[in-house]
Parts: sequence; C-alpha cells; structure tokens
Amino acid sequence: MITVKESKKVLTKRDITKLGLISSFLQASFNYERMQAGGFTAAQLPFLKKIYKDDKKGLSEAMKDNLEFINTHPNFVGFLMGLLLSLEEGREDRSLIKGLKVALFGPLAGIGDAIFWFTILPIVAGISASFAEQGSILGPILFFSVYLTIFILRIVWTHLGYNLGVRAIEKIKTGSQTISRAATILGVTVIGALIASYVHITVLSAIPINPEHTVSLQKDFFDKIFPNILPMAYTLLMFYFLKKRRVNPTVLIVATFIFAVLMSFLGVL
Amino acid sequence: MHDITLMQGIALTIMAIIVGVDFWLEGLFIFRPIIVSTLTGIILGDLQTGLIAGGLTELAFAGLTPAGGTQPPNPILAGVMTVVIAYTTGIDAKTAIGLALPFSFLMQYIILFYYSSFSLFMAKADRYAEEANTKGLVRLNILTTSIVAVTYGVVVFLSTYVAQDLMRALVTSMPAWLTHGFEIAGGILPAVGFGMLLKVMLKGQYVPYLIVGFLIASFIPFSNVLPAALAGTAFALYEYYTSRDKAAPAQKMAVEGDDYSEGI
Repeated sequence: MITVKESKKVLTKRDITKLGLISSFLQASFNYERMQAGGFTAAQLPFLKKIYKDDKKGLSEAMKDNLEFINTHPNFVGFLMGLLLSLEEGREDRSLIKGLKVALFGPLAGIGDAIFWFTILPIVAGISASFAEQGSILGPILFFSVYLTIFILRIVWTHLGYNLGVRAIEKIKTGSQTISRAATILGVTVIGALIASYVHITVLSAIPINPEHTVSLQKDFFDKIFPNILPMAYTLLMFYFLKKRRVNPTVLIVATFIFAVLMSFLGVL
Repeated sequence: MHDITLMQGIALTIMAIIVGVDFWLEGLFIFRPIIVSTLTGIILGDLQTGLIAGGLTELAFAGLTPAGGTQPPNPILAGVMTVVIAYTTGIDAKTAIGLALPFSFLMQYIILFYYSSFSLFMAKADRYAEEANTKGLVRLNILTTSIVAVTYGVVVFLSTYVAQDLMRALVTSMPAWLTHGFEIAGGILPAVGFGMLLKVMLKGQYVPYLIVGFLIASFIPFSNVLPAALAGTAFALYEYYTSRDKAAPAQKMAVEGDDYSEGI
C-alpha cells in the first residue's frame, strides 16, 4: 500500500495553485519526438527543486523521467502534475511515479479531447458564431467567458490531483469511459445540428418543364423532400474519405474549393 | 476598399504574437477565429466586418482541431486574413474566407516544420536533465516559444501591411464566377471540419444521436444550436446514469443468478 507521508510535505496550497497556472507551459517546446515532454518538465521544475533541495542526483533523476515522451491534454495536465508531485514529495519509488505517468496521460488526453475539442468547442463555437454573424459583440464575449472559466478550472484540477494522490487512479480508470461516452453522445448530437445549420449548399439549377414552368431543384425539390439533405450528404462524403480512404483533410479542403469554383462556373450552385 | 496604415500593421503584428503564443500553448483560446477576427476588426476600425468574418470563419474551422496529433490549417491566419481581405478589397466576408486559406495553409506548414525541427532541442534537454540544470531547461522552453511568437509576428506583418496592394490587385482582377465560387466554398467548407469530428467520434451506436441533432436543427426554427445541445445533454445524462448503474450491480449478478433461472 502506498501512502503519502505527511511529515515530508513541503509544497503549500499556494504552490499547487501556481502549478495549475504554470501547467499552461505544457506545449512550450512541442515536437514530434517527445511531444510535450519539455514543457511538462519545465512546469514542474520550481516544485521539484523545492522537494529535492540540495539532492542534485534526485532532481536529475526526476528531470530525466519527466523528459520522456508524453502527450496529454493541456486542460487536464495540472491534475496529472499535481498527482505526480504528491508522489515525488512522498519520495515514492521512481518506477512507480513513472509508471503512473505513462498509465494516465493517455486516458486523460482521451477524456480531454472528447470534452474540450469534440463537445465544448462545437457547442460554444456554434452558439457564439451565430451571434457574431449577426454582428453582435455578444458572440466573442460569450466565447471568451466560457474559455476563461475553463482556463481557471486548471487550478481546480491541479489541487484535485495533488489531494487525491494515488487514490485518483482507480477513479479515472472506472470513470473515464463512461464520461467519454456521454460527452461523445452530446457532441455527436450537436454536430448533427451544426451540419444542418452551418453547411450551405444551394442548387441554382432549374429544370424547364414547359415554356412557362420551370422546377427549381432547390425550392421545389430538395426543400420539399428534405431540407439540408445536401449538406448532410456532403459531410458524410467527407467523413467517408477521411475515415475509409484516409485522405488528408487539406486535400479535401482544396478539392472542395475546386468543386465549388467549377460548380459556380457551370452555374449549378 | 481601405488601406492598412503602418500603425495598424504594427498593432496586428503585436496581436498576432500574443494569440500565436496562446495557440502554441492552447491557453485562453483567444487564438480562435471568432476572437482573432473581432480583434482584427477593432484594430482596423471596422468591428462589424470583424464580427461577421469571425462568426463565419469560426464555423468553417470548428471541426479542424489539433486533437489526435494532427495539425489543422492555422486558425489565426484564417481569422486575421478573412477580415483584412474583406476590409482592403471590399469583398464579402464569405468570399474572403476562401482567399484567406492560402495564408492559413502557409502557417500550418511552418508550425509543422517547427514540430519536426524542435526535436533537435531534445538532446540538449537531456543534457540539462543529466546536469540537473533547471535554468537551462526553462530557457530552452522560452526559446522555442519565442521562435514561434516571432514567426507569427513576421508572417502577419508581411501578409497584412506589406502585401495589401498585391492582394487588392489580385481580387479586383478576379472574374465573377470565381468570386462566387469562393463564396460557395466558404459555405461548404464547414463540412470538412464536421467530417473530421465525425471521423474521431462517430461509431454505429452514435448514429441515432447524429440523426436527432440533424432533425432538430432542420425542423425547429431557432437561431442557434442550443435546442440540439440541450437534447444532447439529456441523452448524455441518460447514458451516464444508466451505464454507471449497470457497472455497479455487475458484481451482484453472480449471486442473483439463481433468481433469473427460476424465472425462466
């Protein structure tokens, strides 16, 4: 059983708050070899220094471990740093600290991506952009307020990680899948709505029935049978190319432009 | 059609450095087009164009996320240039998104280059760790971030202040079908982003939710996606509580096994 020995506590509450803020340097030297390792180490340094004091060898070992490959989520990394520093403070075995880091950064990245990139961003962007498009300053203000709150929460996660210590691991392992799944459901529902609201394809072509009558493909056909069916169809086509054919998104963006310009030239769209 | 003054060019450069660092660190999310375009609009003295361009560009980039290790077209350059192009050439913001894209791609590739080349610094970081040289490691992280910051400043200054006449000449010489084509592309572009989100998220079991969200937005006349978001929240909560309750009695199952067999 691992317990953090109270007598060895050197980090104060203030330190942990500071750690939460400095955890923002996670990606300071991002690169494809070690990903976030450089910033991850640098953010913890002031506190590692406080823990190891004159123990140069201990500090060097801790730095070396932290410089190994890591790729997690910037919003949640404070949680991981808090947890790891509580173990460093208790002078736990290096292999245990390293093992926990390796075991946790992936799941945290997964939950973070599901919540922040795939759920919150589409919702907040969708709502605030609809204000901005109408020329209302409320759009960017709303957007900024939400993300400022999310940023401040970094401090909360960091305290949580530090206080929970090793007890957190069980919670993350049991909770992460349920939370990711719930977040994904919310995200997918919103994306369905975003496709209908913000992908615009209007067919200009009309089919002449007789000299007096023409049938507008958009108004008389698509809008009556199913509005927004073309945006959905095009999005699913993109999905197909990205998922099944593994086409690079940049290629699809360029292809969409060529398609749009060609359709404009022919007068179809 | 308007000119960008040197002062405005410098203000844009400073803004680009700040939001560039924010993008690099994923901090306050002031690097998103909705914020960047608004700030650009304020600097150029045309808030309305900034807001409208911000809304349009934000949506076009909503799905183009860096999750899973990919680097998307750069949202900052898209946010700045959509406003700058609309402002200096007088074209519609919808059309300007298309013209801003090459700048967005350029910055994307510069960042990709840094992601690769910054690997070279890691050997040095290892040496600092060996020597327990904390100052050296911090300095190294500040250096890499500064390189990125300066790059944003230079690229935005050149693209906005220096290149404005060239840009204007290019846009005014474009035929109508080409500008209309760009406008159409701006409308379809979000589909690529949403396709990318679906690539990561969509599994068979989630298809019903995609359909419901799509139906809600197609048939409920409302100015934004809030009704669908609330429906999605309801589904998410339902999923959370049912799967949590399912997990808890799983251990009891073995004991209760007899009861089930009696029922059958």
